Amino acid sequence: MMKRYCLLLIFSSLFISRATAQNPIIRDQFTADPTARVFNNKVYLFPSHDILVPEGARKDWFCMADYHVFSSENLTEWTDHGVIVSQEDVPWGNPTGYSMWAPDCVEKGGKYYFYFPNGPKGGRGFAIGVATADLPEGPYRLEEKPIVGVSGIDPCVLVDNDGQAYIYWSGMGIRGAKLKDNMKELDGELQEVKMQRREGAPEMPPMKVGGQQMEGLPDGFKEGPYVFHRGDWYYLTFPWVRQEGGTETLAYAMSHSPLGPWDFKGIIMAEHANRCWTNHHSLLEYRGQWYLFYHHNDFSPRDDKRRSARIEKIGFNTDGTIQEVKPTLRGVGILPATSRVEVDRYSDASNGVTYAYNDTANTFLGWHATLPGKGSWLRFADVDFSAITDGYVIAKVKAEGNTEVIINAKGDKKKGKEIARLKVAVSGAQGPFRRSTRGQWLTLTAPLTNVPNGVADVEVLCGDSALSVDWLQFKNRQQYFTPVDKKATAAQPDDRGFIRRWRLMEPQKQDIRSNTIFTDSWLRETFAKELAKLPKQKAKWYSMESPTYNMKLFHFAEKYGSQAYGNLFWCETVVNCAEEISDIRLAAGSNGASMWWLNGEEVLLLEGDRRMVVDDGVSKRLTLKKGRNTLRGAVINGPGLSDMCIRFIDEQGKPVKGYDIEN
Amino acid sequence: MKRYYCLLIVFSLFTGRAAAQVGAPYIHDPSTIAECDGKYYTFGTGGGGLISDDGWSWHGGAERPGGGAAPDVMKIGDRYLVIYGATGGGLGGGHNGRILTMWNRTLDPKSPDFRYTTAIEVAASDGLEDCDAIDPCLLLDPTTGRLWASFGTYFGNIRLIELDPKTGERVRGNQEKDIAIDCEATDLIYRDGWYYLLGTHGTCCDGVNSTYNIIVGRSRSVEGPYVDNVGRDMLNGGGRMVITAGDRVCGPGHFGRTVIDEGVEVMSCHYEADFDQGGRSVLGLRPLLWKNGWPEAGDRFHGGTFAILSERRGYSLELAVDFVRIQHERQGWRRVNPDEPVKPVADQQLADVAGNWPQGDIKVRCSDYMMRPHQLWTITPVPEAGGFLGGPYCKIVIAGTERALAATDDLELTAVPAFTGAPEQLWRVEQATDGTFRIMPKQIPGREGINTTYVLYSAADSTPTLAKWDFASDNAKWRLKLK
Repeated sequence: MMKRYCLLLIFSSLFISRATAQNPIIRDQFTADPTARVFNNKVYLFPSHDILVPEGARKDWFCMADYHVFSSENLTEWTDHGVIVSQEDVPWGNPTGYSMWAPDCVEKGGKYYFYFPNGPKGGRGFAIGVATADLPEGPYRLEEKPIVGVSGIDPCVLVDNDGQAYIYWSGMGIRGAKLKDNMKELDGELQEVKMQRREGAPEMPPMKVGGQQMEGLPDGFKEGPYVFHRGDWYYLTFPWVRQEGGTETLAYAMSHSPLGPWDFKGIIMAEHANRCWTNHHSLLEYRGQWYLFYHHNDFSPRDDKRRSARIEKIGFNTDGTIQEVKPTLRGVGILPATSRVEVDRYSDASNGVTYAYNDTANTFLGWHATLPGKGSWLRFADVDFSAITDGYVIAKVKAEGNTEVIINAKGDKKKGKEIARLKVAVSGAQGPFRRSTRGQWLTLTAPLTNVPNGVADVEVLCGDSALSVDWLQFKNRQQYFTPVDKKATAAQPDDRGFIRRWRLMEPQKQDIRSNTIFTDSWLRETFAKELAKLPKQKAKWYSMESPTYNMKLFHFAEKYGSQAYGNLFWCETVVNCAEEISDIRLAAGSNGASMWWLNGEEVLLLEGDRRMVVDDGVSKRLTLKKGRNTLRGAVINGPGLSDMCIRFIDEQGKPVKGYDIEN
Repeated sequence: MKRYYCLLIVFSLFTGRAAAQVGAPYIHDPSTIAECDGKYYTFGTGGGGLISDDGWSWHGGAERPGGGAAPDVMKIGDRYLVIYGATGGGLGGGHNGRILTMWNRTLDPKSPDFRYTTAIEVAASDGLEDCDAIDPCLLLDPTTGRLWASFGTYFGNIRLIELDPKTGERVRGNQEKDIAIDCEATDLIYRDGWYYLLGTHGTCCDGVNSTYNIIVGRSRSVEGPYVDNVGRDMLNGGGRMVITAGDRVCGPGHFGRTVIDEGVEVMSCHYEADFDQGGRSVLGLRPLLWKNGWPEAGDRFHGGTFAILSERRGYSLELAVDFVRIQHERQGWRRVNPDEPVKPVADQQLADVAGNWPQGDIKVRCSDYMMRPHQLWTITPVPEAGGFLGGPYCKIVIAGTERALAATDDLELTAVPAFTGAPEQLWRVEQATDGTFRIMPKQIPGREGINTTYVLYSAADSTPTLAKWDFASDNAKWRLKLK
């Protein structure tokens, strides 16, 4: 047992998957027969785990070797807690049976009981085992024997309001039985049932079977019972083949008693349109909304025995009957705009919009949507923009010709409003770096011209010619500066002595194509000329505080200048000293060249083609007088990321900090 | 960013001269040298790359699809992983960079196995964030087996990511980490408990006026902080110089490290301009030295006239001939007359002694260095004799003569009367990481193939021989001292 525990722990490493409010919900492995339960205000998902058939196992059949458990608090982000039970670990099971079909898990008295079907060692057919744990994530302790009297698959356990537990399973029809208080044994007599003898097969000994047949269900193949209690009603829901030669629907019956008899009501979900043969499901209420968990072969288009879990919202009529649900790509949940919005999982779209795998050899890489031409569109519901203030959109797109992506946001009842427009230029001038990007995936960005309030639907509209979109994502621009309020109290240099508060003049455009012109004489001439102009400059000044030690002038120019590159920046700050500070040096780093004046006197020139390096150059020893000292700088740059960092240092190179910064 | 304004012009020229690259080491941003089936390969910016049979003579012909800037390549298991930036950093579509990886079983385009796997994206920059995902490099951490990549340029930060060494894909859940600013074409290496981040600083692509140089910071953790020799974080612009202009080349960029043997390392880079090759951008290979835990480029070895002194004792390699006293008027130190003018003593000249030397082969030994003709060796590159990774083979002759140092079939040494170009008279002279030299004959008579094992070695203080290279032993190392 100890050994088994260790194994479980190793496999229990966590994997956080990224937010996927879209169907299917788990995107890195197959997840069939999704049983979802709410434990401790979280949703726990116990699917069976389809895998590709290994060497030696039956090729065209279901193949499952273990179970994972997943959890989520918002139905959009799922945490994979790893393997909880593996076929090698089941004491009574066939270690190479690959028959770990649809499971269930319930809580009773603070313990978690995990029920699973499996092929018995040396035997035939299926038995149902139990494993218990103190937490839904495990570790689970396996019982030595399967439940006596249960021969079949697809266990489902209902713990009723009075604490009485019932188990349902599929085997010789759908059966149900009371469970003893220990949750591991059937309550009641077992019947001896003579097995139907297959032609040519030897006579089998009679089998002991517990429980009773669920009465009132329609003819036709049935399996996967899922029973729940809502209001006055018990619901028995089950996959059902309603037509000869058909595939499974999800159907249900109702009763006022947990073991029936049942009153058949109809369909919850019709057959899958692509003839994926199975469906298997569970229903649950979470935070006031009912959901249907079911599966589809999304990631395995040519083999419907590798399936993936999906979720839809589901509703009830006032008489308790269930409203039929249609499968969607979009699924449920509100998706944060900051996570990837997989628009190929659209809520709806214009005629001709299609979706296809990104890579048919690795379907887990997901899909992209293709909009065939001007006028085509798709809509993705429920994206939460509340975290976006100064935002931009990133889009992964491809096109065969130059086109545009137009992105609208649509709130409640409002008409869609354009929030961004991305130019997709795939052909034109070419060079060693500029190759044709026809048909290649491109990551493009554009600032948001409008920021939607709260939750909105996102619409993607196609420009002049066809367009494929893999995903969109919204982000905030990084905040490089905070405007300083006029009434703000004085600032101090930071821990390392850097002056982070400056008055910056709006960038002065310079026609500079290369930084190699920054010779001493050119800089002196230029700075002298600009300095002379300064008193008459009508340019706007901004008082700014940087969250970092350096002032990222490039980003200041991006926002407040007419161009990002090729600028002269005037910077001023006032250093107010309580006492005179002598024998210190001004230490500067700048991208590109810069000149610095203290109280009107030039103290430092950083010439040439510079990058910003802390303490790149220092002034001669100087004195800050008592009271206000004006520190002025000019930074000039051509094609570079303009930047500067300024502090005073002492003889030992240590930062000088005992003064106020006012401006 | 700065670089690419000019890059466009430079590379339009390159493209036009693609055919002219044959037989010439013209490249920009060479990837770390990779070896495949006895040949050396390096890939450059824009696509393609160089191949060399011997590591000395390089010509075009390497193939790498995908274009873009500054790739890197590494052999992992029996496959080669190539990482490259698909874009050009600011040119043609802004700063939406993409880093991709792909595998190949061989680097030889003529091999039937030569086929790249589909490139997969491992990192990207969205165009507005403080990063442009170009210029990637690879580090396979020898202590953990984990695979790391750094990338980026002047547009914002240099970033670190982790890749899966089995697939070349990004490790799931791995977050990018900023590790430096204000540099580009970075490289990561590990040595002796330290991780080193080498960045290219300055401006490229301006010919002989390019200020490119390579700087380094180091860290005990691969994730940084990478700090320079005066304590500055590379995130604050810090960095210690590894290589700058000098010796008729300028603008070194895009570092790569190749370990040839323990204690013998080579760094690869490109020079923005080689003054002797019309100011073109060429491949540079230099000895890589380690000083107090910091990497530093050694000088290109041009040869010259030296005393060859053993690191073991400091004795000099010499011909086993009679010591000839220099005759001069001696003034005992007790009888020095300070008023008398001094007269310099002349060096002993070759002509004074050579006539007494035997005509045939002369044995070689080590003894006190006395600046005598039989102790002075002229080392001269013999480019037509080919080379090794980083340099040409040299002949080593007694200064003023053609009497050449040669290896013998019994793994000893001799000095033959005249240099004939025979492979046992050709020597591979390499600077080891501690600044000493390893001196190795190209071939040993009676043995097949190029010798890469036996080196000039002190069997005893006075007895040089040939023995296996051992960096841990001073017996294997020599100093070259200008007369």
